[in-house]
Amino acid sequence: MNLWNSFYTGLREILSHKFRSVLTMMGIILGVASLLTTFALVEGLAKKSREMLNSLGGVETIRVFKKEPPREQVHIADLSPGITIADAEALREHATLITAVAPVYEQSATLEHGEADYRYTIRGVWPEHVIVQNHKITAGRAICQLDLDEAAKVCVIGSRIVQELWPKDPNVQPVGQTILVNSRPFTVIGVLEHYESEDAKRARKEGRPVPPSRYGSRFDPYSRKNSTFLIPFTTMFFEFKSAGGIGSSGSSSPIPSFSSSKSNSSTKDDPGPNYRLDELAFHITDPQKMAEAQAEAHKILLASHRGIEDFEFENRVEWSEGIEKQNTQIKLVGGIIASIALIVGGLGITNIMLASITERIREIGVRRAVGAKGTHIFVQIIIEGTVLAVIGGLAGLVAAFGLLEIIEQATSGDSQGIVNTQAALASFIFAVVIGVVSGIYPAWQASRIPPIEALRYG
Amino acid sequence: MALIELTDVTKRYTVGAQEIRALDGINLKIDRGEYCAIIGPSGSGKSTLMHLLGCLDTPTTGRVVIDGVDVSRASDGRLAEMRNEKIGFVFQAFNLLPKFTVLDNVELPMIYSGKSAKERRARAIAAVERVGLSERMKNTPLQLSGGQMQRVAIARALVNDPKIIFADEPTGNLDSKTGATILALFRELSEQGRTIVLVTHDNEIAANAPRRIVIRDGRIVQNADNWHSGLRAAPSPQEAHT
Repeated sequence: MNLWNSFYTGLREILSHKFRSVLTMMGIILGVASLLTTFALVEGLAKKSREMLNSLGGVETIRVFKKEPPREQVHIADLSPGITIADAEALREHATLITAVAPVYEQSATLEHGEADYRYTIRGVWPEHVIVQNHKITAGRAICQLDLDEAAKVCVIGSRIVQELWPKDPNVQPVGQTILVNSRPFTVIGVLEHYESEDAKRARKEGRPVPPSRYGSRFDPYSRKNSTFLIPFTTMFFEFKSAGGIGSSGSSSPIPSFSSSKSNSSTKDDPGPNYRLDELAFHITDPQKMAEAQAEAHKILLASHRGIEDFEFENRVEWSEGIEKQNTQIKLVGGIIASIALIVGGLGITNIMLASITERIREIGVRRAVGAKGTHIFVQIIIEGTVLAVIGGLAGLVAAFGLLEIIEQATSGDSQGIVNTQAALASFIFAVVIGVVSGIYPAWQASRIPPIEALRYG
Repeated sequence: MALIELTDVTKRYTVGAQEIRALDGINLKIDRGEYCAIIGPSGSGKSTLMHLLGCLDTPTTGRVVIDGVDVSRASDGRLAEMRNEKIGFVFQAFNLLPKFTVLDNVELPMIYSGKSAKERRARAIAAVERVGLSERMKNTPLQLSGGQMQRVAIARALVNDPKIIFADEPTGNLDSKTGATILALFRELSEQGRTIVLVTHDNEIAANAPRRIVIRDGRIVQNADNWHSGLRAAPSPQEAHT
């Protein structure tokens, strides 16, 4: 008895009791649907988290923060110059597991173009900043080493700044135009990509209103990234940082270095050049070697800080691991609950099949009389259960998409599921396995009935 | 060598504490091409005997050899193979699958003998034509008359080209006229050389078969040729119609 025949027989049996079969399958349909929906929703959450992590520089980025030195070093804490450009230079010079170092000077400044003027935080950066912060240039070019060497008055600006400075002209090409930064003319050399979440991008493409960020406009990482205003590091130093008073040049060296920091506290009235960085981050070669890279950076920075441990590292591996761990847990819990639904569906199949065997005992007798072995009957019943589960499983997959759509509508687009083939396949296979297993007991019962008893019945 | 050979066969059932001897020391030989009737009142053990002959059951003691194969201790699977290849059954209640068409019903034994779909279809059509139901191939049994249903059952019994056909009260659910046509069909098959065993409680029906085996209380009480015993002298009313 070949498989196709059994399948056909099973299908016919199911079709001849349509309503009963649908009721039986309902358990499997809902079980598969809830299993896949759970997986898809968790996947959707995970994707959002990953997107954001990437927009913040990905897991390869490590940031250096100031911290209180340990208690035994408090009395000598002043020996350390703090986090300065010297740290960045030392890292660039000596670290082997670091691909890019990004020191940042920050300053609040007034930007002007035509009638529009706004206050923004402007940032003086190295060319590597683009790598470390995962920036993408859509027009013009990035800041290069030559800009730094010449302390050129050029800037690379984010999409939101373009919107603010050219409010009436949405299709403006700002590259080559001049804007005033604290009244000093700067030429725009590059424009950054408009950063947004995948949801927002999709909404914009489909012409729907962009959903408001769930972090609020102030803390939205995308909005902050779009407000980026970058100028060369040296330009920043000379124009805004080299002395207490704006515009006065205080250093003789074009590139400030650690050795000149002695002049830091020479006079009380003029604080002099400020070498302390507002931010220092670096990009490592391989996220697998996070610990080694961090240890190496620690050694280098300890030297440039004269042994004072007044800095610490922050990486996003823990954050990312936290997210993944949480996702796995939600998946597991949701999966278990949905699996219970699926198992209940399987019990429904067992129950119905046991009932239908009593009903079909005569048929079993006839099949036995014309030469069916016990195993034939067993296989037939198993296949009937499997066919039910296969159809139910497929219907469940379809139902999952409906369920996801309902959930998306109900949460106005906030909870979006991502169905991946793996999850769909896993749910489906699980349903089929449940179908096979739930057929075993009825099939075994049916195959054990002696032929003469089955024939005599009814 | 005989097609069927039973030696000292007993079959006992235990119902509660009571032991029932359904068959008690049966010795029987049926040759190839014979047409015989097993006759006896209900409870005589004739159905049990047919179940043993038809490989639906195994004896408690004794030997059952069918077509050279000792099936007295055969496994369930082996018995199923014997039923499939060597035996065709025709039942009183027809025992057709109600949801299947005539052709599908006739194909059923071949599904278990692993024949290809094409061959199954061809042989099923031939068998249905053989019993004169070519017009009704696509009907389901519920759309047929009793006589037609029994013809489908006979076609199903014939389709695997078995050595023996067992018919258990094949006319029991039919009116006498239809019953007569069914019996005529059996006689025809017998004339073509098939071995047929007819089980009945009705002497008149048994009179169709040249040989009669009378069974009572689990023992064979008469095992004779109809022609020699003279029962053939008075033709049965059924025969008058054929």
